[in-house]
Amino acid sequence: MSHVDPEQLAGLALDPTDGPADVREHAETCPECAGLVAAFTGVRRRAGADALVPPPAALRAQVLAEVRSGDAEPQPRSAPAGPARRRGVPLWLAGVAAALALLAGIGLGRIGTSGDDTPEAVEPPTGAGTVVAAAPLTALDSDAARGEAEAVQTDETFTIRVSASELGDEPGVHEVWLINVDGKRMISIGLLAAGDEGEFAVPMDLIDEGYRIVDISVEPDDGDPTHSGVSVARGELA
Amino acid sequence: MTIIPFPARGPRRYGDPVVTGAMAFEDEQDESVHVLASRLVDGDETALEEVYDRWSSLIHTYALRALRDSHDAEDVTQQVFVAAWRSRHTLTPSPAALPAWLVGIARHKVADLRAARARDADRLAAVVSLPGTHDDAIQAADDEVAERLVVRQAVEELPDPRRTIVFLAFWEERSHAEIAEKVGLPLGTVKSHVRRGLMKLHQQLEGVRHESR
Repeated sequence: MSHVDPEQLAGLALDPTDGPADVREHAETCPECAGLVAAFTGVRRRAGADALVPPPAALRAQVLAEVRSGDAEPQPRSAPAGPARRRGVPLWLAGVAAALALLAGIGLGRIGTSGDDTPEAVEPPTGAGTVVAAAPLTALDSDAARGEAEAVQTDETFTIRVSASELGDEPGVHEVWLINVDGKRMISIGLLAAGDEGEFAVPMDLIDEGYRIVDISVEPDDGDPTHSGVSVARGELA
Repeated sequence: MTIIPFPARGPRRYGDPVVTGAMAFEDEQDESVHVLASRLVDGDETALEEVYDRWSSLIHTYALRALRDSHDAEDVTQQVFVAAWRSRHTLTPSPAALPAWLVGIARHKVADLRAARARDADRLAAVVSLPGTHDDAIQAADDEVAERLVVRQAVEELPDPRRTIVFLAFWEERSHAEIAEKVGLPLGTVKSHVRRGLMKLHQQLEGVRHESR
């Protein structure tokens, strides 16, 4: 027989027993008709959503105002997205940003005093202090060795000393992070500025709070201060 | 009312072919949407107002369900209509084009906001526990929400008595006989309204699916 009238197929979608036998048989065996019955059934299944919720009345005027002001300027697109995004920045990220700002400051300081022969401005006297914890660093997708990290304590300071190796040649800078063992918090402690070694002074409280997993990431120069998600080495201080 | 199981073909996704020519049925399309889209493309600001009035609830509800945050939902709603205005030249007017297009923009805005949230907070989880991407599942859930809301809006836009009849049938799960008694129409008329209502909802949904990608 020829194809079934869609209205009859709609009826079958609502009640498979609703219709003459030959119509039902065709609708079961003809791929097109069966497909339409299935589509109708899918629509029926999607009925039942709660009523739509209108946005607050004031939003209409905001949209129209933005549209009108935007027409005057040729490139307004990025303006509204920025602030909306920044609202959700959590505290730890602010901490990372602050740490980066601090690093930048240190960097500038070093440039400013480059006449002095103090190339390792942040490095405490070598050999001083006690290694209170250490961790072998490994790759994440295997146990391949990637160097080691140590936590070194002196009377006044606490530093994380990283000596990494074979971090690969993915473009970007290597950033060192401490991840909390609770799996919920992390903080950047600095960059491996030259080579694969670096020392980072950190508040001892951090370690006590559980920031014991040393993580090295590759960070592209994309203006995004958060972890890139690409970790090349990791180890837990113990 | 019996609901037969969903077919084994797997869930349909946006962009699948719409009903084939042989299956095309009576066109009940609302030409006014087509006209409205044309006016928008031409830069008529009052068209944007009408577009907003007609679909802001749909977009807002979608954003609200997807993001579960009223502030973010308002942000996204505003961004969608502003973006719609600024990129109106990319719209090809057709009966289903407007809601499909707006939903498409909203999907992107929601995804952008999710990505921003992920960068801010969830990235740590990704870093600590490594891969486990569930983006597809989230997207599928979003699409399902969008489709249900499109169906809801399509019902609201049916002319009465069909709107009331379809609502009683699908939302309140009343039998055709109960509905016939309630609205005072013959059983056969009620049945026809329910079937044609379902066809119209299907047409709207297919239009949005077809055009939103």
